[in-house]
Amino acid sequence: MAMTKSQRRHAFSAFRYLVLTFWLLIVAFPIFWMVSTSFKPDREWFAWPPVYISENATIQNYLVVWADVSEYGTDAEGELETYTQSLQRPWEALGNSALISVISTTLTVLFGSVLAYGVSRYGILSEGRMFQLLMLRMVPPIVLIAPISIWYSALGLLDSITGLVMLYFLTTLPYAVWMSKSFIDEVPREMEQAAEILGASRMRTIWEVVLPLVRSGLVATFLFILILTWSEYLLALLLSKTEVVTLPVELSKYQGSTEGRVYGRQAALSVGITLPLIVVGLIIRKHLARGFSFGMVRR
Amino acid sequence: MSRIELVNLRKEYGSVVAVNSMDLTIEDGEFIVFVGPSGCGKTTTLRMIAGFEDPTAGDIRIDGEVVNEKEPGDRDLGMVFQSHALFPHKNVADNIAFGLRMKKVPQDEQARKVQEVSELVRITHLLGKMPAQCSGGESQRIALARTLVTEPSNFLLDEPLSSLDAKLRRELRAECDRLHDELQKTFVYVTHDQEEAMTLADRIVVMNQGKIVQMGSPMEIYGDPVSYFVADFFGNPAMNLIEGEFVAGTNGLEFHSSQFNIPLPAKYSSTAPGKGSLGIRPENVTIGATGGGASINSEIELVEPLGKDTLLYFGTDADRPFVAVIEGTEEVQRHAKVDVGFPDDAIFLFDANGDRIR
Amino acid sequence: MTAEATANTTPAPGSRRERTRAQGIRRFKWAVLTPFIALMLFILMPAFLLQGYFSFFSFSIFDAGDNLGFSSYFEASEWVGFDLWADALSDDKFGWAIVRSLLFSTGVTVGCFILGFALALLMYRPFRGQGVYYIFFILPMLTVPIVIAYTGEMILYQNGPLNDILSILTQTRVEAQFLYKQEVALTTIALLEIWNWTPFSFIIMMAGLASLPKEPQEAAQILGANKWRIFWEVQVPLLRPVILLALILRFLESMAEFPKTWGLLQGGPGSATETVPVYIFINAWQFFDISYGAVLSYLILFMMAAIVMSAIWLLRREKKSLDAMYESKPQEG
Repeated sequence: MAMTKSQRRHAFSAFRYLVLTFWLLIVAFPIFWMVSTSFKPDREWFAWPPVYISENATIQNYLVVWADVSEYGTDAEGELETYTQSLQRPWEALGNSALISVISTTLTVLFGSVLAYGVSRYGILSEGRMFQLLMLRMVPPIVLIAPISIWYSALGLLDSITGLVMLYFLTTLPYAVWMSKSFIDEVPREMEQAAEILGASRMRTIWEVVLPLVRSGLVATFLFILILTWSEYLLALLLSKTEVVTLPVELSKYQGSTEGRVYGRQAALSVGITLPLIVVGLIIRKHLARGFSFGMVRR
Repeated sequence: MSRIELVNLRKEYGSVVAVNSMDLTIEDGEFIVFVGPSGCGKTTTLRMIAGFEDPTAGDIRIDGEVVNEKEPGDRDLGMVFQSHALFPHKNVADNIAFGLRMKKVPQDEQARKVQEVSELVRITHLLGKMPAQCSGGESQRIALARTLVTEPSNFLLDEPLSSLDAKLRRELRAECDRLHDELQKTFVYVTHDQEEAMTLADRIVVMNQGKIVQMGSPMEIYGDPVSYFVADFFGNPAMNLIEGEFVAGTNGLEFHSSQFNIPLPAKYSSTAPGKGSLGIRPENVTIGATGGGASINSEIELVEPLGKDTLLYFGTDADRPFVAVIEGTEEVQRHAKVDVGFPDDAIFLFDANGDRIR
Repeated sequence: MTAEATANTTPAPGSRRERTRAQGIRRFKWAVLTPFIALMLFILMPAFLLQGYFSFFSFSIFDAGDNLGFSSYFEASEWVGFDLWADALSDDKFGWAIVRSLLFSTGVTVGCFILGFALALLMYRPFRGQGVYYIFFILPMLTVPIVIAYTGEMILYQNGPLNDILSILTQTRVEAQFLYKQEVALTTIALLEIWNWTPFSFIIMMAGLASLPKEPQEAAQILGANKWRIFWEVQVPLLRPVILLALILRFLESMAEFPKTWGLLQGGPGSATETVPVYIFINAWQFFDISYGAVLSYLILFMMAAIVMSAIWLLRREKKSLDAMYESKPQEG
């Protein structure tokens, strides 16, 4: 260590920028590639050397995918028309995804935050139970999905929004409770005691005093769970048939088709699926750290 | 021989100047206390000496050597933090031995030194415990032990007693004093508590807004403040400071204010008239029999018996009530009208800028 | 976890106030928990029992015919006792699926953790441009896994950009098959998964590092410890609970990974990416062998339950030590 303090400081700083920039490139590249590919005409999808930024950028992919425009002008025209049909309803899928995500997330955060309040202030769930709740989520859904679908078909819940919403509720509630609890724990109890002395009932106190104080934390929880439900694939795939197709399932239909890959189209759909999440995530980024402590971080 | 010199030391955070080109020499073995309100730069100065902050300009010299580029661990310093900063996952003995381990002191010698220093601060009964099991006062002693055991040449103490209650604070204050006496090493101490400064310091450095406002022995600071700020900061209860105006009167300079008017002692006759303030310490105010000097008649509005002393409040409707201190054994009645005396040698005058008029 | 059960006010034990208060809390508790418990009972429980039924009664789709009403499932099944269980336990492919899953999850967990921790260490103290880096670093977690799967394929394609970059670096034409070669397929998917989920570990570790008190680190510094010492002796021990959390959550979630293994490769090439979820899927949904799928599912359920219970035990232990370290101070004495 023959360097002086400031030399060492500069060396470390340079090292840091190097490493972080390297990882930034790794992080950014797939997203860049996805966006770039979505603007490529079909002859550039498989070209060698690969096209990074297309000089013939076109919005054709978006039109085909999102505007149901039929395809003309290329060799593979006939086959592409088949694609346009197999990928039938992106807007419907978008609507389904949005509806299911918003409904289930709202329910989850509602119950989750009130439950978290109960755990934080009254200990209505023991620490052991709280961990069991978290671990409930950690069981791979695949192990129960087959009987659930049979049971659902008996109940008429197969291929229904309600069916998916209920399952999403079950699987995301643990995260909602844990995240809300970490925010609620930080609210000083004096506020509630003041409200109690002034005659407020419990629900009123929760609703008017505590939850507004953790509003930003709840928004973060809401948006994080929204991300989870929006991108969920397995349950949506196996519990839906024709009516309730969500975006991830819609995207996977390309894979199943027999004509090979249509990268441009997939990219155009992917951008549509990912964009809302990125926007949402950037909005809540400051709260993510606080929400993810799960009781293992002391402040 | 270990003296610390701060040469033209400056620290800026963006456009904020935390420490404003300070020059100071701390002599070997001195107990020097930096005192001032929050944000005055005292902690920043201490942290620059320690090496946790880099000066924007200027040098820090220890024993004549510029140490700006040296890591905190290489400056032969010991430091005690406000929050005791013990390692919560190690037990007390391991906490204390930490510095010795870093210096690769052999194990048996480590154990011996830990035992020695624990006896010095009287925490031998805590050695096997975890920090969480120790009280605030005990934790600070452990922190002291941890830094003493490495035998540094200089000690830095960053408001070590602020998080303790009043009684503990006095106990540990005495402990710091005792340690300094025994070790005869330099103690650089930072606090916002003027009482701590007065009782512990060989020399007090009063800071405000990044600058040294006054430096001197506690009695100098207390008895001869150079400014309104210093006069106000030291003393409990605080010095009575009344804003007003110096007016030329029939028999020399007078002090006029909304609360009272009094003639000023002859030595101020050459002072120019103008706005200013007058100060007098509560304990120097005379009640009843006058010993020379001006006096006014006023009603006692509030009596606060403290046991040893009794505080009398006058003019409570003003921004600052006027306070006098008398013996607790004296009998006084609320609402009684008494003569409030201003002995000549107890009056301090300050001009409109807050500087002392001599 | 809060210490007291009634944190806000504590009326005298045994008093009427305490009883009504406790009643109120009980009502509150059940009001909030009911939907969740109802769903568990009406959806998960029957599913669990159905699964049990099918594991002992073999269902044959051929017997069921075309119209699959609920009762037809039962009509088309016959008792086979523990036969299917024996089959599953001696099923080589199943064993391999488990091995693949464990390898996959371990690799992904370690990868996410090391990267996430390293990034957090470099990022947790402020510096210029930190905000920009942070935004980029959380992006992968915001992408949909199935999208990553397909975008990954585009990038890893024979004529794709990764091969292009490698070709430029090695000055030869690289035509590597990352996804369609059996030997590397699982590793490639693991790398995609690591890319996807490193932000999660990163955020957790950032939270942990940021919460570490600064003064013990400074105290160690002035006592002569260098950066490594401080890292291993002061920071990491206090980070153990957070580290464990990051590891466990990631491990368990990756055991259930599906979109990349199935959505992209359908378990192929061959069986190279046939992890447990894929294998169960193939049996239950492709071959429609519900009964065998049920047995496999139960076995995996038991395995995961064991893993999960160990995880809970570990996490609780860490939480206890964390609580102990930050206990409120005893009185001065």
